[in-house]
Amino acid sequence: MKNFLLDYTLKVRLPLIVFTVLAVFVITYYVSYAERNGVGYGPVQPIAYSHKLHAGTMKIDCRYCHSDVDKSRHANVPSASVCMNCHSIARKDKPEIIKLTDYYTKGIPIEWKRIHRIPDFAYFDHSVHVNKGIDCSNCHGNVAEMDVVSQVKDFTMKACLDCHRNPKEVIKNIIPGKENLQINNGPTNCGSCHR
Amino acid sequence: MENKIIDISNEIIGSPDGRSDNNEQANGGNADPNYWRSFRELYNDPEFNKLKEREFAEGALERPDVSRMSGLSRRKFLALLSASAAVAASGCSNFREKGFLVPYNKKPEEITIGVPTYYASTCTGCSSACGILIKTIEGRPIKVDGNPDHPVSKGKTCSVAQASVMNLYDPERLKNPVERPDKLTSNEIQWPAADEKIISQLKSAASSGKEIAVIAQTITSPTARKALDDLAKAYPTVKVYSFEQYDESTKRNAYEKSYGTRNLPVVRLDKAKVILALESDFLGSEPGKIENAMMYVKNRDAFGGEFNRLYAVEGNATITGMNADYRIILRTDAIEEFVYALMIELIEREKVPTADPNLLNRLQKAGMSSFISKYNIKKETIEHLVSDLKKNKGASYVMAGSALPESTHIAVNLLNDALGNTALHAEDDTRVTVMPHSTKQEIDALISSMKSGKVGVAVHYDSNPVFLLPKDMNYADALKSVPLVVSLSEMENETTSASNIVLPVNSMFESWGDHQTRSGFMSLQQPVIAPLYNTRQKEAVILTWAAGNKDAFNTELYHKYLQDSWKAGVLASQNTDMLFKSAWNAGLNDGVVKVTAGTTAASLSSASPSSATNITTATGFKSDAFVNSTNVMTPSGNYVLMLTPNPNLGDGRYANNGWLQELPKPLSRVVWDNYAAISVQTAKALGAENGDMVKITAPNGNLQLPAFIQPGMAEGVIAVQLGYGREVCGIVGKEVGFDTGALISKNYKLSPWLYNDSVSIEKTGEKHDLVSTVEHYNIEDPLLKDIQFRRGIIQEGTYLQYKEDPEFIKKKHENRNLESINEQYVHTGTKWGMVIDLNKCIGCGECVVACNVENNIPIVGKDQVKKNREMQWIRIDRYYAGTPEEPKTSFQPMLCQHCDFAPCENVCPVAATTHSADGINGMAYNRCVGTRYCSNNCPYKVRRFNYYNFRDHFRDAVQESESFSLMANPEVTVRSRGVMEKCTFCLQRIMEERSHAIRENRQVIGSNVKTACQEACVTDAIAFGDQNAKDSELHRLMNSGIGYGVLEEIKVKPNIIYLAKLRNVYETENTEAHH
Repeated sequence: MKNFLLDYTLKVRLPLIVFTVLAVFVITYYVSYAERNGVGYGPVQPIAYSHKLHAGTMKIDCRYCHSDVDKSRHANVPSASVCMNCHSIARKDKPEIIKLTDYYTKGIPIEWKRIHRIPDFAYFDHSVHVNKGIDCSNCHGNVAEMDVVSQVKDFTMKACLDCHRNPKEVIKNIIPGKENLQINNGPTNCGSCHR
Repeated sequence: MENKIIDISNEIIGSPDGRSDNNEQANGGNADPNYWRSFRELYNDPEFNKLKEREFAEGALERPDVSRMSGLSRRKFLALLSASAAVAASGCSNFREKGFLVPYNKKPEEITIGVPTYYASTCTGCSSACGILIKTIEGRPIKVDGNPDHPVSKGKTCSVAQASVMNLYDPERLKNPVERPDKLTSNEIQWPAADEKIISQLKSAASSGKEIAVIAQTITSPTARKALDDLAKAYPTVKVYSFEQYDESTKRNAYEKSYGTRNLPVVRLDKAKVILALESDFLGSEPGKIENAMMYVKNRDAFGGEFNRLYAVEGNATITGMNADYRIILRTDAIEEFVYALMIELIEREKVPTADPNLLNRLQKAGMSSFISKYNIKKETIEHLVSDLKKNKGASYVMAGSALPESTHIAVNLLNDALGNTALHAEDDTRVTVMPHSTKQEIDALISSMKSGKVGVAVHYDSNPVFLLPKDMNYADALKSVPLVVSLSEMENETTSASNIVLPVNSMFESWGDHQTRSGFMSLQQPVIAPLYNTRQKEAVILTWAAGNKDAFNTELYHKYLQDSWKAGVLASQNTDMLFKSAWNAGLNDGVVKVTAGTTAASLSSASPSSATNITTATGFKSDAFVNSTNVMTPSGNYVLMLTPNPNLGDGRYANNGWLQELPKPLSRVVWDNYAAISVQTAKALGAENGDMVKITAPNGNLQLPAFIQPGMAEGVIAVQLGYGREVCGIVGKEVGFDTGALISKNYKLSPWLYNDSVSIEKTGEKHDLVSTVEHYNIEDPLLKDIQFRRGIIQEGTYLQYKEDPEFIKKKHENRNLESINEQYVHTGTKWGMVIDLNKCIGCGECVVACNVENNIPIVGKDQVKKNREMQWIRIDRYYAGTPEEPKTSFQPMLCQHCDFAPCENVCPVAATTHSADGINGMAYNRCVGTRYCSNNCPYKVRRFNYYNFRDHFRDAVQESESFSLMANPEVTVRSRGVMEKCTFCLQRIMEERSHAIRENRQVIGSNVKTACQEACVTDAIAFGDQNAKDSELHRLMNSGIGYGVLEEIKVKPNIIYLAKLRNVYETENTEAHH
């Protein structure tokens, strides 16, 4: 009797349990891979700013607001004063613009929710990429079509290296006017990002 | 070649005998100098040899002591762990949350996020008032370097300025005004309340005729002086005093007697072919060291003009002496005698003209020959000195140390005058003093009127007299009889704790100012950050009181006052608002404004121009000064006590700055302490060893502190560094070292910093832990100890050798070129490299501090340095050769060599350290698992391991305070516990240049990158750039005939080339050791 139960446990139950656990783990790992890396994350922002309207319909260049993207490591989020360049006149009566004006006049900085983030031990330089003619959309997706911006690509080291090793295939869009710049393979030594 | 190998193996096999042989040679003063770093090494201390076999020091690797660990059982620990995990999990709301991005509301136009902005300003760290360039990032000052446009500092600064950002963010700065009614209990008050109280007391003191004493340290700002004059106008009983613990007063007194002016000349050392330093550390610690060092190395460039020759005569051991071509060891109090003997020698033998027969009479005491035999000095050296001085009349200079008494300075002035060396005094530039220091008598009078109740209010204007004034003046006691004591200070100190009201003032990064130290220009100071705490600019506080109304204050008060004072003074010619504004802004932009000599300081100050602010040019030496000079320094007693200035901590003001405390002293490499430096002979007589407590008795008081045996000191000389032993200070600097205040007396015979009457020293029998970095990181394998001299770590020669054959170093190691088993990777693009010129390196250590600031290097504390755990990425190795009594010293900055075949890379199990295509040995911190194999395999021992999160571990985690996080360079990762780190060749700066190159669509230009150490190196000893750029300066230096790599023969192919030190001596024999 005892032997039978032990045999059953070892031969049937244990493998079943191990298989189920493994299967669940593997399935969850792959199904949640993108989500874990933040793909699809598009939080509600304090002001319902639409990239689709500004960058899409009105065709405002990204660099009008993200003006430091070709000068600095960081693509800056514009200060409220930049918004007010237009909105001190344009659409002053709309509720979201009233909210914006309120922030501006009271001098409160707007706390935008962060969407794209790489760990702080990696030093990504926007200016280097943009000055080589690599369009924003290669990493950030077609923001001009997004009402609410969300992350569309992995921001993992693998994603970086895929492109650095094989830029010609990975890079789809080049900034207009910069097509003549030669894009070589990016550096792959540790020090180019970690320092 | 073959012989050598046999030779080596013999030594290994016959180890004990072979070794003692060589050591006998070393001790017996054999011509071959041995290189040794400490006595324990020289004498082959068996304990030390055992230590050397270990990779790390005792205690570094030992398991933690179980009894001192937490009593928590494993079971309980796990239960707690799971419970806290459960609690943490229940608190999770949105795992995807990535925080916020908060832009400016209105972005200032000069700021680009992530791009630094630089502001020209002035360092107020000491009375030199050097021009600085402050790097700010998003409004936070993070780095200070010299202002290249400044006529004096020319782009360089000292360690105090480099590390000053730490003073700004010091979490223990005073944050609010404090009231201490009975000087014991303290409570925070508001500014208006404090001002009101003080103003009413000032008014009543003035009306009742009681003195209002304002006690300041050196004031270099004409407008600050004007503000103090305004205060004196509002309250007629105001008297302003200023003092400094260590200054050039004896030198100034002598100069006044000799030439009729207290304004010391600017000496153009770059024009001097021969320099004689008499107990003068003009390269390392005396005022003006930055400028002097820069001028000195102008003639130490192997590819430039003729070398200068430096003679040093000293009793203490300083880096100036150790850099000298000829060093004469002489008791400090015999220096005046030496000057006399030298003059007689020059007059008699070399017929240097002296017109005045009185002078000759005065000199007829003793000749050089009796002097030489009396002090046992090498005759040849004196011969060389005399003939050199004679040959280079008008192109030599005698520098006398500030600690020497007035009479010696007068004699030196005469010597310089007789040799025509005053030709080196700059004609268009003199040093000026905005406000002369009070005399000893004035301070004494102040103290006695304090005691007799004649002083109503004492205001300490950012000064610390309780700690700094000679203890026999009893200043602290006198303060007790003053009804109201006010202190303006950045930090709590000995004086604030004896005050009724303590007012926090702005740091130099938050202040406006103008400063004048020279006749030809003024330098401007501007704030680069809004005050972090509830502090006010000290001048504005004075102006508020002068206005007699607490509401007179506003944050722009002093800014406007400064502008108004310039409108009326320096920029008076810019008579419209627009002209003024543009001239003012141009001045702020450059940091300096040229002024016409003689007018500025006086016209700015509303008070009648004092003699010190008038520019009187020296006219001819007054021989009366020498003839009538009565107090002549003559050797007496067994011991000479000398107090030496502290180039890092100043007068103790920067004691709370851990970067400065942890910077090893250039010769002893001791950190976090001061000590009584004594000679080998004195130590033998006392039976003292390093760290033995000794009691020094001076005429005025006594002090117990540890002894340190300093090779190369004169017998009987005791040297103690000032600036230690702060009692009321922040957590970092409190009770570090020993307060030398007890040794300074107001009744000195020679000078406040030099005593030879009734000085004695005795062992107390106690021990003190003196921590020195010198025995750490032995480069050599202990089994091959004696082979080290042939390993060519230090390669030297003489200037004559170099003149004969400029490639003599290169030729020497040509036969060492063994084949490598590795295949050379061809670096086609950029390949970074560095050249360190040992002719220019004076061993000061400014580069270490600059590297600390640039690369977010933590302070580890004395206990950790003792365990070899210091984190500095660059260290200055100091080697002695010869005998302990008369060592020959070599300095060598040692940092990661970025070897082509880096041994560290092969052994890393996780590939955390790898090589890049541009030749950099990289370190990926987030990959490192902390095996420390790399450090074990590094032949240069330049890797540093984070045994702790040192920011958290040191002194109650003071470095993790909120304010300190503002100090970090955002371009460099802050490393955590358990990872290895090391020099990166300032990778962040290389990446910055790369991004500039891509923006401008060009190739990377090597010379555009300056590493932090290179930028800070006062003497420009460090060059950095692209080795593959064939037409670059670096390429030329790298392939020069005197360049060598350390441990070249092990074929790791270092990318740092050292240029061999060339000693400018007459002797042609090779100074390097042979076997």
